[in-house]
Amino acid sequence: MASQLLPLELIDKCVGSKIWVVMKGEKEFSGILMGFDDYVNMVLEDVTEFDYSGNHTKLSKILLNGNNICMLIPGGEGPTAAAS
Amino acid sequence: MENGTLTQGEGRDPSGFLSDIIGSSVTVKLNSGVVYKGELQSVDGYMNIALEKTEEHVNGVKKRSYGDAFVRGNNVMYISAD
Amino acid sequence: MAEVDDGAAAPVSEPLDLVRLCLNEVVFVKLRGDRELKGRLHAYDSHCNLVLGDVEETVYVVDEDEEGDEMVKSIHKKSEMLFVRGDSVVLISPQSST
Repeated sequence: MASQLLPLELIDKCVGSKIWVVMKGEKEFSGILMGFDDYVNMVLEDVTEFDYSGNHTKLSKILLNGNNICMLIPGGEGPTAAAS
Repeated sequence: MENGTLTQGEGRDPSGFLSDIIGSSVTVKLNSGVVYKGELQSVDGYMNIALEKTEEHVNGVKKRSYGDAFVRGNNVMYISAD
Repeated sequence: MAEVDDGAAAPVSEPLDLVRLCLNEVVFVKLRGDRELKGRLHAYDSHCNLVLGDVEETVYVVDEDEEGDEMVKSIHKKSEMLFVRGDSVVLISPQSST
């Protein structure tokens, strides 16, 4: 019982490493997690934004609104790595 | 590290990042896909945003420009430091 | 005074201050659903509920012409005064700066 890991503790362990963020809509982000708050708004660095249409955009540093986040995958490289 | 003790380094957590980029040029992307580029004047807890010298881009095409613009936070997907 | 921010240089300390500065001025408002308003801002609150006077509303709709090609058509409406519910607001800008 004592070893139970709360969801936000898992995210806290990801600070400083790569994370893959899947949004509610057709959009995904991957980047290094620099920090987050109680709403899981996240600061990401060296970000790639993956579009529905297959485009990807590089962004150096962003604050991502937590409101539309669906799923977080620690260590994830994004959809391109998952597909290969 | 205890539960809830988030990394507090400057520019690392959301509020630190925001205070770092106030006054600099940013890109704001809305959930609709519309992009605003401008100088960040201020942000509040709802992610409402005030921008200066703002350009509106739709599908990568510049549509309009505004001297000042207030963007309601619920529409914001991300704020990117340029 | 604990801290004198660059107050004189920055009259806008939070985003809604920008809206406060638009009171009794003509503003441009972008709404969800491809709607735009231009009118005099009489009142607003923290939800971005707005009261606008002497308003011109533009609605953009996708229309098909005779060949079946899609084209964007705009519809204009005028109102003496209207209330805008805040949740539909996307952007507010002082008209003088557009």
